Amino acid sequence: MKTKTKEHILDFIRVSRQARPIELVQSLGISPQAIHRHLKSLVVDGMIESREKPPTTYYVLADIPHFDGALNWFQSKSDPGPFSEVCETRDVLSARLSHFVPLQKRGLSQNDLPLVISMAGELGNNSFDHNLGQWHDVPGCWFEFQITRQRLWILIADRGQGIYGSLSKVFPDITNEQTAIEKAFKETISGRFPEQRGNGLKFVTGIILKKANRGIACVSGKGKIQYGNLGNNCAEVLKTVSNKKVGTITLIAWGME
Amino acid sequence: MKIQVKKFGKILTSRPAGRDAALTIKAYITPGTKDIIELDFSEVISVGPSWLDEVLTFLRNEHGKDKVICLPTNNPSVNEALKVIDSTKDTAGER
Repeated sequence: MKTKTKEHILDFIRVSRQARPIELVQSLGISPQAIHRHLKSLVVDGMIESREKPPTTYYVLADIPHFDGALNWFQSKSDPGPFSEVCETRDVLSARLSHFVPLQKRGLSQNDLPLVISMAGELGNNSFDHNLGQWHDVPGCWFEFQITRQRLWILIADRGQGIYGSLSKVFPDITNEQTAIEKAFKETISGRFPEQRGNGLKFVTGIILKKANRGIACVSGKGKIQYGNLGNNCAEVLKTVSNKKVGTITLIAWGME
Repeated sequence: MKIQVKKFGKILTSRPAGRDAALTIKAYITPGTKDIIELDFSEVISVGPSWLDEVLTFLRNEHGKDKVICLPTNNPSVNEALKVIDSTKDTAGER
Protein backbone atom coordinates (compact mmCIF):
# COMPACT_ATOMS: atom_id res chain seq x y z
CA MET A 1 0.00 0.00 0.00
CA LYS A 2 1.32 3.42 -0.92
CA THR A 3 1.44 6.05 1.83
CA LYS A 4 1.52 9.78 1.20
CA THR A 5 5.29 9.86 1.83
CA LYS A 6 5.82 7.05 -0.65
CA GLU A 7 3.73 8.98 -3.19
CA HIS A 8 5.94 12.03 -2.62
CA ILE A 9 9.07 9.94 -3.08
CA LEU A 10 7.70 8.50 -6.33
CA ASP A 11 6.69 11.97 -7.56
CA PHE A 12 10.17 13.29 -6.80
CA ILE A 13 11.83 10.45 -8.72
CA ARG A 14 9.33 10.79 -11.57
CA VAL A 15 10.15 14.48 -12.01
CA SER A 16 13.91 14.34 -11.45
CA ARG A 17 14.20 10.82 -13.01
CA GLN A 18 16.52 9.70 -10.20
CA ALA A 19 17.08 10.50 -6.55
CA ARG A 20 19.70 9.94 -3.90
CA PRO A 21 18.44 9.39 -0.35
CA ILE A 22 20.01 12.65 0.84
CA GLU A 23 18.11 14.58 -1.83
CA LEU A 24 14.85 13.06 -0.62
CA VAL A 25 15.70 13.87 3.00
CA GLN A 26 16.30 17.51 2.05
CA SER A 27 13.31 17.79 -0.24
CA LEU A 28 10.70 16.03 1.91
CA GLY A 29 12.03 17.14 5.30
CA ILE A 30 11.87 13.78 7.02
CA SER A 31 14.54 11.72 8.72
CA PRO A 32 17.12 9.67 6.78
CA GLN A 33 15.94 6.56 8.65
CA ALA A 34 12.36 7.08 7.47
CA ILE A 35 13.48 7.75 3.89
CA HIS A 36 15.55 4.56 3.83
CA ARG A 37 12.63 2.58 5.26
CA HIS A 38 10.26 3.88 2.57
CA LEU A 39 12.82 3.33 -0.19
CA LYS A 40 13.35 -0.26 0.91
CA SER A 41 9.61 -0.84 0.93
CA LEU A 42 9.19 0.69 -2.56
CA VAL A 43 11.97 -1.57 -3.89
CA VAL A 44 10.25 -4.63 -2.39
CA ASP A 45 6.96 -3.52 -3.98
CA GLY A 46 8.69 -3.32 -7.37
CA MET A 47 8.01 0.42 -7.76
CA ILE A 48 11.63 1.59 -7.80
CA GLU A 49 15.08 0.06 -8.10
CA SER A 50 18.49 1.04 -6.84
CA ARG A 51 21.49 1.78 -9.00
CA GLU A 52 25.15 1.63 -7.98
CA LYS A 53 26.57 0.67 -4.62
CA PRO A 54 26.78 2.84 -1.47
CA PRO A 55 27.75 5.59 -0.99
CA THR A 56 26.70 6.62 -4.52
CA THR A 57 23.42 4.66 -4.56
CA TYR A 58 20.52 6.39 -6.26
CA TYR A 59 16.99 5.27 -7.06
CA VAL A 60 15.00 5.27 -10.29
CA LEU A 61 11.52 4.13 -11.26
CA ALA A 62 11.52 0.37 -11.84
CA ASP A 63 11.98 -1.05 -15.31
CA ILE A 64 12.40 2.27 -17.09
CA PRO A 65 15.65 2.64 -19.01
CA HIS A 66 17.45 5.92 -19.61
CA PHE A 67 18.71 6.32 -23.13
CA ASP A 68 19.10 10.09 -23.14
CA GLY A 69 22.54 9.92 -24.76
CA ALA A 70 21.27 7.81 -27.63
CA LEU A 71 18.14 9.92 -28.15
CA ASN A 72 20.17 13.14 -28.22
CA TRP A 73 22.69 11.60 -30.62
CA PHE A 74 19.95 10.34 -32.92
CA GLN A 75 18.06 13.63 -32.99
CA SER A 76 21.03 15.95 -33.27
CA LYS A 77 20.53 18.25 -36.26
CA SER A 78 24.22 18.18 -37.14
CA ASP A 79 27.13 15.78 -36.64
CA PRO A 80 26.90 14.95 -32.92
CA GLY A 81 30.61 14.15 -32.67
CA PRO A 82 32.31 11.00 -31.39
CA PHE A 83 30.66 8.76 -28.79
CA SER A 84 32.00 5.51 -27.38
CA GLU A 85 28.61 3.82 -27.90
CA VAL A 86 28.86 4.27 -31.67
CA CYS A 87 30.17 1.30 -33.64
CA GLU A 88 31.78 3.00 -36.60
CA THR A 89 32.36 -0.25 -38.47
CA ARG A 90 30.70 -3.63 -38.62
CA ASP A 91 33.73 -5.21 -36.93
CA VAL A 92 33.26 -3.07 -33.85
CA LEU A 93 29.60 -4.06 -33.67
CA SER A 94 30.47 -7.76 -34.03
CA ALA A 95 32.97 -7.52 -31.19
CA ARG A 96 30.49 -5.73 -28.92
CA LEU A 97 27.81 -8.37 -29.41
CA SER A 98 29.91 -10.58 -27.15
CA HIS A 99 29.19 -8.11 -24.29
CA PHE A 100 25.85 -9.88 -23.90
CA VAL A 101 27.55 -13.10 -22.79
CA PRO A 102 28.34 -11.99 -19.19
CA LEU A 103 24.66 -11.05 -18.74
CA GLN A 104 23.96 -14.68 -17.97
CA LYS A 105 25.28 -13.93 -14.49
CA ARG A 106 22.69 -11.15 -14.18
CA GLY A 107 19.65 -13.20 -15.12
CA LEU A 108 19.70 -13.63 -18.90
CA SER A 109 18.92 -17.30 -19.47
CA GLN A 110 21.13 -19.63 -21.48
CA ASN A 111 18.26 -20.12 -23.93
CA ASP A 112 17.66 -16.40 -24.41
CA LEU A 113 21.29 -15.39 -24.94
CA PRO A 114 21.58 -16.73 -28.54
CA LEU A 115 18.30 -15.06 -29.52
CA VAL A 116 19.23 -11.71 -27.99
CA ILE A 117 22.58 -11.69 -29.77
CA SER A 118 21.16 -12.71 -33.14
CA MET A 119 18.42 -10.04 -32.95
CA ALA A 120 20.85 -7.29 -31.98
CA GLY A 121 23.21 -8.52 -34.71
CA GLU A 122 20.47 -8.37 -37.34
CA LEU A 123 19.41 -4.86 -36.38
CA GLY A 124 22.97 -3.55 -36.10
CA ASN A 125 24.11 -5.14 -39.34
CA ASN A 126 21.08 -3.66 -41.10
CA SER A 127 22.52 -0.23 -40.33
CA PHE A 128 25.60 -1.11 -42.34
CA ASP A 129 23.89 -3.17 -45.06
CA HIS A 130 21.48 -0.39 -45.99
CA ASN A 131 23.50 2.74 -45.35
CA LEU A 132 26.97 2.15 -46.74
CA GLY A 133 27.66 5.24 -48.81
CA GLN A 134 24.35 6.74 -47.66
CA TRP A 135 25.13 7.98 -44.14
CA HIS A 136 23.60 11.35 -43.33
CA ASP A 137 26.75 12.38 -41.46
CA VAL A 138 28.09 9.89 -38.89
CA PRO A 139 28.82 6.37 -40.15
CA GLY A 140 27.90 3.40 -37.99
CA CYS A 141 25.29 2.63 -35.36
CA TRP A 142 24.71 3.46 -31.72
CA PHE A 143 24.65 0.18 -29.77
CA GLU A 144 23.71 0.21 -26.11
CA PHE A 145 21.97 -2.05 -23.65
CA GLN A 146 20.76 -1.57 -20.10
CA ILE A 147 19.36 -3.88 -17.45
CA THR A 148 16.53 -2.72 -15.23
CA ARG A 149 14.79 -4.73 -12.52
CA GLN A 150 13.34 -7.46 -14.71
CA ARG A 151 14.20 -6.40 -18.25
CA LEU A 152 17.03 -6.15 -20.71
CA TRP A 153 16.77 -3.16 -23.04
CA ILE A 154 18.68 -3.01 -26.32
CA LEU A 155 18.86 0.17 -28.37
CA ILE A 156 20.27 0.41 -31.87
CA ALA A 157 20.16 3.62 -33.87
CA ASP A 158 21.78 5.01 -36.98
CA ARG A 159 21.97 8.31 -38.81
CA GLY A 160 21.44 6.76 -42.22
CA GLN A 161 18.86 7.09 -44.97
CA GLY A 162 16.02 5.46 -43.01
CA ILE A 163 13.84 2.51 -44.02
CA TYR A 164 11.75 4.49 -46.50
CA GLY A 165 14.90 5.88 -48.11
CA SER A 166 16.23 2.36 -48.60
CA LEU A 167 13.03 0.66 -49.81
CA SER A 168 11.48 3.40 -51.94
CA LYS A 169 14.36 3.25 -54.44
CA VAL A 170 13.56 -0.37 -55.22
CA PHE A 171 9.80 -0.37 -54.60
CA PRO A 172 8.32 2.84 -56.06
CA ASP A 173 4.85 1.75 -54.93
CA ILE A 174 5.93 2.35 -51.33
CA THR A 175 4.99 6.00 -51.06
CA ASN A 176 5.33 6.84 -47.39
CA GLU A 177 7.42 6.10 -44.32
CA GLN A 178 4.68 4.30 -42.40
CA THR A 179 4.07 1.77 -45.19
CA ALA A 180 7.82 1.27 -45.57
CA ILE A 181 8.43 0.44 -41.91
CA GLU A 182 5.41 -1.89 -41.71
CA LYS A 183 6.46 -3.81 -44.81
CA ALA A 184 10.06 -4.02 -43.57
CA PHE A 185 9.01 -5.76 -40.36
CA LYS A 186 6.29 -7.99 -41.78
CA GLU A 187 7.38 -8.97 -45.28
CA THR A 188 10.44 -10.45 -46.92
CA ILE A 189 11.53 -7.26 -48.57
CA SER A 190 14.88 -5.52 -49.00
CA GLY A 191 16.34 -2.36 -50.46
CA ARG A 192 19.33 -4.41 -51.62
CA PHE A 193 17.73 -5.61 -54.88
CA PRO A 194 18.57 -7.83 -56.73
CA GLU A 195 20.12 -9.66 -53.78
CA GLN A 196 17.78 -12.18 -52.18
CA ARG A 197 17.54 -10.68 -48.72
CA GLY A 198 14.98 -9.23 -46.40
CA ASN A 199 14.29 -11.84 -43.73
CA GLY A 200 16.17 -10.18 -40.84
CA LEU A 201 13.40 -7.99 -39.44
CA LYS A 202 10.86 -10.76 -39.96
CA PHE A 203 13.13 -12.96 -37.85
CA VAL A 204 13.29 -10.31 -35.13
CA THR A 205 9.51 -9.80 -35.11
CA GLY A 206 8.93 -13.56 -34.92
CA ILE A 207 11.15 -13.91 -31.85
CA ILE A 208 9.56 -10.92 -30.12
CA LEU A 209 6.06 -12.30 -30.64
CA LYS A 210 7.01 -15.74 -29.41
CA LYS A 211 6.72 -14.86 -25.71
CA ALA A 212 4.63 -12.41 -23.72
CA ASN A 213 7.47 -10.63 -21.93
CA ARG A 214 9.07 -9.13 -25.03
CA GLY A 215 8.55 -6.05 -27.14
CA ILE A 216 10.02 -3.87 -29.83
CA ALA A 217 9.44 -0.35 -31.15
CA CYS A 218 11.06 1.28 -34.13
CA VAL A 219 10.93 4.81 -35.50
CA SER A 220 12.20 5.77 -38.94
CA GLY A 221 11.17 9.21 -40.17
CA LYS A 222 7.43 9.52 -39.65
CA GLY A 223 7.05 5.73 -39.65
CA LYS A 224 6.55 3.94 -36.34
CA ILE A 225 5.84 0.35 -35.35
CA GLN A 226 5.60 -1.57 -32.13
CA TYR A 227 5.12 -5.27 -31.57
CA GLY A 228 4.87 -7.55 -28.57
CA ASN A 229 3.41 -7.04 -25.11
CA LEU A 230 6.29 -4.74 -24.10
CA GLY A 231 6.13 -2.83 -27.39
CA ASN A 232 4.23 -0.05 -25.69
CA ASN A 233 6.96 0.30 -23.05
CA CYS A 234 9.52 0.66 -25.84
CA ALA A 235 7.38 3.18 -27.72
CA GLU A 236 7.05 5.18 -24.50
CA VAL A 237 10.85 5.50 -24.30
CA LEU A 238 11.02 6.57 -27.95
CA LYS A 239 8.05 8.95 -27.74
CA THR A 240 10.30 12.02 -27.65
CA VAL A 241 11.77 11.13 -31.04
CA SER A 242 10.47 13.82 -33.32
CA ASN A 243 9.75 13.24 -36.97
CA LYS A 244 12.93 13.64 -38.90
CA LYS A 245 14.17 12.75 -42.29
CA VAL A 246 17.16 10.64 -41.39
CA GLY A 247 17.96 7.49 -39.53
CA THR A 248 16.29 4.61 -37.78
CA ILE A 249 16.06 3.93 -34.05
CA THR A 250 14.95 0.61 -32.56
CA LEU A 251 14.42 -0.42 -28.96
CA ILE A 252 13.88 -3.96 -27.72
CA ALA A 253 12.58 -4.86 -24.25
CA TRP A 254 13.30 -8.40 -23.12
CA GLY A 255 11.83 -9.81 -19.93
CA MET A 256 14.36 -11.72 -17.87
CA GLU A 257 13.14 -14.79 -16.04
CA MET B 1 31.67 -34.15 -44.60
CA LYS B 2 31.17 -32.39 -41.29
CA ILE B 3 31.87 -28.65 -41.00
CA GLN B 4 32.44 -27.41 -37.46
CA VAL B 5 30.83 -23.99 -37.63
CA LYS B 6 32.52 -22.85 -34.39
CA LYS B 7 35.76 -22.62 -36.33
CA PHE B 8 34.30 -19.57 -38.10
CA GLY B 9 33.48 -17.88 -34.80
CA LYS B 10 31.09 -18.31 -31.92
CA ILE B 11 28.93 -15.30 -32.76
CA LEU B 12 27.98 -15.25 -36.44
CA THR B 13 25.56 -12.57 -37.54
CA SER B 14 26.63 -10.62 -40.64
CA ARG B 15 26.17 -11.38 -44.33
CA PRO B 16 29.76 -10.51 -45.31
CA ALA B 17 31.04 -12.96 -42.66
CA GLY B 18 28.61 -15.61 -43.95
CA ARG B 19 29.70 -15.07 -47.52
CA ASP B 20 33.32 -15.36 -46.45
CA ALA B 21 32.62 -18.57 -44.54
CA ALA B 22 30.78 -20.07 -47.54
CA LEU B 23 33.71 -19.36 -49.85
CA THR B 24 36.12 -20.87 -47.34
CA ILE B 25 33.98 -24.00 -46.97
CA LYS B 26 33.85 -24.30 -50.74
CA ALA B 27 37.65 -24.31 -50.84
CA TYR B 28 37.70 -27.32 -48.47
CA ILE B 29 35.29 -29.40 -50.51
CA THR B 30 36.58 -31.59 -53.31
CA PRO B 31 34.89 -30.51 -56.55
CA GLY B 32 32.24 -32.98 -57.70
CA THR B 33 32.03 -34.70 -54.32
CA LYS B 34 28.81 -36.56 -53.57
CA ASP B 35 29.31 -36.39 -49.81
CA ILE B 36 26.63 -34.71 -47.75
CA ILE B 37 27.85 -31.48 -46.18
CA GLU B 38 26.80 -31.36 -42.53
CA LEU B 39 26.95 -28.09 -40.61
CA ASP B 40 27.65 -28.78 -36.93
CA PHE B 41 26.69 -25.85 -34.67
CA SER B 42 27.93 -27.28 -31.37
CA GLU B 43 29.66 -24.68 -29.14
CA VAL B 44 28.43 -21.81 -31.30
CA ILE B 45 26.85 -19.08 -29.14
CA SER B 46 24.62 -17.37 -31.69
CA VAL B 47 23.84 -17.41 -35.40
CA GLY B 48 21.81 -14.81 -37.28
CA PRO B 49 19.60 -15.57 -40.29
CA SER B 50 21.72 -13.30 -42.49
CA TRP B 51 24.90 -15.28 -41.82
CA LEU B 52 23.16 -18.62 -42.19
CA ASP B 53 21.30 -17.57 -45.33
CA GLU B 54 24.56 -16.61 -47.03
CA VAL B 55 26.16 -19.95 -46.16
CA LEU B 56 23.20 -22.17 -46.99
CA THR B 57 22.19 -20.39 -50.19
CA PHE B 58 25.73 -20.48 -51.52
CA LEU B 59 26.41 -24.12 -50.64
CA ARG B 60 22.98 -25.33 -51.76
CA ASN B 61 23.37 -23.59 -55.11
CA GLU B 62 26.71 -25.34 -55.53
CA HIS B 63 25.79 -28.81 -54.27
CA GLY B 64 21.98 -29.04 -54.19
CA LYS B 65 19.56 -28.54 -51.31
CA ASP B 66 19.59 -32.18 -50.21
CA LYS B 67 23.37 -32.28 -50.00
CA VAL B 68 23.70 -29.51 -47.42
CA ILE B 69 22.13 -30.07 -44.01
CA CYS B 70 22.24 -28.51 -40.57
CA LEU B 71 22.78 -31.07 -37.83
CA PRO B 72 20.16 -30.96 -35.05
CA THR B 73 21.03 -28.45 -32.37
CA ASN B 74 19.51 -27.01 -29.19
CA ASN B 75 20.70 -23.53 -30.12
CA PRO B 76 17.45 -21.53 -30.54
CA SER B 77 19.09 -18.91 -32.77
CA VAL B 78 19.99 -21.60 -35.32
CA ASN B 79 16.54 -23.16 -35.22
CA GLU B 80 14.71 -19.82 -35.52
CA ALA B 81 17.00 -18.68 -38.32
CA LEU B 82 16.39 -21.91 -40.22
CA LYS B 83 12.62 -21.49 -39.92
CA VAL B 84 12.76 -17.99 -41.41
CA ILE B 85 15.15 -18.99 -44.19
CA ASP B 86 13.15 -22.06 -45.15
CA SER B 87 9.84 -20.17 -45.14
CA THR B 88 11.36 -17.46 -47.32
CA LYS B 89 12.77 -19.96 -49.81
CA ASP B 90 9.50 -21.93 -49.87
CA THR B 91 7.54 -18.75 -50.59
CA ALA B 92 10.00 -17.75 -53.31
CA GLY B 93 9.59 -21.20 -54.86
CA GLU B 94 5.81 -20.85 -54.94
CA ARG B 95 5.92 -17.63 -56.92
